[in-house]
Amino acid sequence: MLFFKKKEKKQEKAVSVKEVCSKEELIGQAEAKIKDLETLSGEERVAVLNEIGSLFTQAEETDQAIRFYEESLEICKQHGKASTDLMKLYNKKRQEAAQAKDDEKVKEYMDKVQSLMQMSKDMIRGNV
Amino acid sequence: MQILNFIIQNILTQAAVVIGLIACLGLALQKKSIGAIISGTMKTILGFLVLSAGSSVIQASLAIFGDLFNKAFGLKGLVASIEGINGQAMTDLGLGSEIAITLAGIFIVNIILARITKFKYIFLTGQALLWESTLCVVFAYFCGLRGVPLIVIGSIVGGAFATLMPAFAQPIMRQITGSDDIALGHFCTFGYMFTALISKITGNKEHSTEDINLPKSLEFLQDTYLSVMVVMVPFYLIVAIAAGPEACAQYCGDTNYIVYMFLQALQFVTGLYVLMSGVRLLLAELVPAFQGISMKLVPDSKPALDCPVLFPYAPNAVILGFIFTTIGSITGMFLTPVLGLPMILPGVMSNFFAGGTAGIFANQVGGRRGVVIGCIAHGIFIMILPALLSPMLGQIGFQNMTCTDVDTVVTGFFFMIIKSITGIF
Repeated sequence: MLFFKKKEKKQEKAVSVKEVCSKEELIGQAEAKIKDLETLSGEERVAVLNEIGSLFTQAEETDQAIRFYEESLEICKQHGKASTDLMKLYNKKRQEAAQAKDDEKVKEYMDKVQSLMQMSKDMIRGNV
Repeated sequence: MQILNFIIQNILTQAAVVIGLIACLGLALQKKSIGAIISGTMKTILGFLVLSAGSSVIQASLAIFGDLFNKAFGLKGLVASIEGINGQAMTDLGLGSEIAITLAGIFIVNIILARITKFKYIFLTGQALLWESTLCVVFAYFCGLRGVPLIVIGSIVGGAFATLMPAFAQPIMRQITGSDDIALGHFCTFGYMFTALISKITGNKEHSTEDINLPKSLEFLQDTYLSVMVVMVPFYLIVAIAAGPEACAQYCGDTNYIVYMFLQALQFVTGLYVLMSGVRLLLAELVPAFQGISMKLVPDSKPALDCPVLFPYAPNAVILGFIFTTIGSITGMFLTPVLGLPMILPGVMSNFFAGGTAGIFANQVGGRRGVVIGCIAHGIFIMILPALLSPMLGQIGFQNMTCTDVDTVVTGFFFMIIKSITGIF
């Protein structure tokens, strides 16, 4: 469709910026921030957890990214990058499990996707 | 032979049993334990019976409402309730077995299409599939199909919609999510794409809804049934006052007519509550079975998920989308009689989910201005389309209700077009 073209150019730009950092650098940055976590609590901790989750996502360390994003949402349920990234990461894990024919894991990640959607629905309706 | 005839005539013709058998098959295919298969099958049968009970309550309440609406205003008033349509089709019209088998058929066609075509979308929103199955069966029945042809055609059409509607929305979904991993499984796609088109023409995407400060949530929607009640009670009371005590007397007896209609509005909400409890029970075993089987058979599939999957991307757009779709739907409510169509009374929950999601689509391509204009247009659109379908629904037997989710309405039009083209009836 004609009216969707402009946005794609912007996405290409975003991808090229990401490629500047290597996987090792991204993991290094994430590990430095993990050390900072020890002294943080509340909103500051949530912000750093999200940064770590984002760095691990970019480094394609899916399990680690999930771990930090899940902790962030446990402390503070909010719409934003944590929940949107987490949805994609769960789906990625679900796809890997399906390819490995691991039914238990497929179910586990489908359930996590459903829980995340329920949380999102509850938040917008003020139930959280 | 006698035993076989008894089974066919007395057991397999019972919709509750057929639905239970489908759930039983799904559980067996997942290699569940005998205990889980038995309990899952019985829960599914129970779900159907609960749904039937809820449907009766809704219909009794709407019959009174519809009659008094006609007496009060001299025109037809229809409540937009896809749940009610499903309940009546499954029980009163005796299409429960066909709807349940078609639902399973839609699962199968969706999996086949996702495997053999480039559209790798697996539709995972159970309730939406049940509504689609209902409309496919109802309109295939209306076109004169019966038995196996009805189920096969219903499954193919429903399966095609389940595969193609996520594909239709995907160009904008890619923009919203920034990836191609997740699709939208909500049968309001025509409304969303219509909103996006209007928003694109009239809006400016540089000014996003997410740059403004709004309340984080819509707290008055915390309880679904309370929200429905807040909308239905005024509708019933306005009709009672406009119709007057004499018109209401045949229903209310010695009870004051205002009090009676207030209680009837609550009866409608009660019926909806019961019906939805039944739907949840009914789908509790069927949907996970489908999810497990489809993910196994199409490992590279893209899951088409319910609309809340998009809410985190633009929560302000959800709130504004709901507000402006509601404004549009109220405009549409008064517009439909002017166009010679029945008056459609909007549903608060469909305005919330469909309106909120339309808001996200509109914001993505047209920013704030696009949300305002696009969602008002969306509200009118989702009133006019069901109004256009209502004469056909009326002929089938749905006197006081019409559909909400516009893709199911389009399914109805699709069958009517095919019927007209083939001219076989």
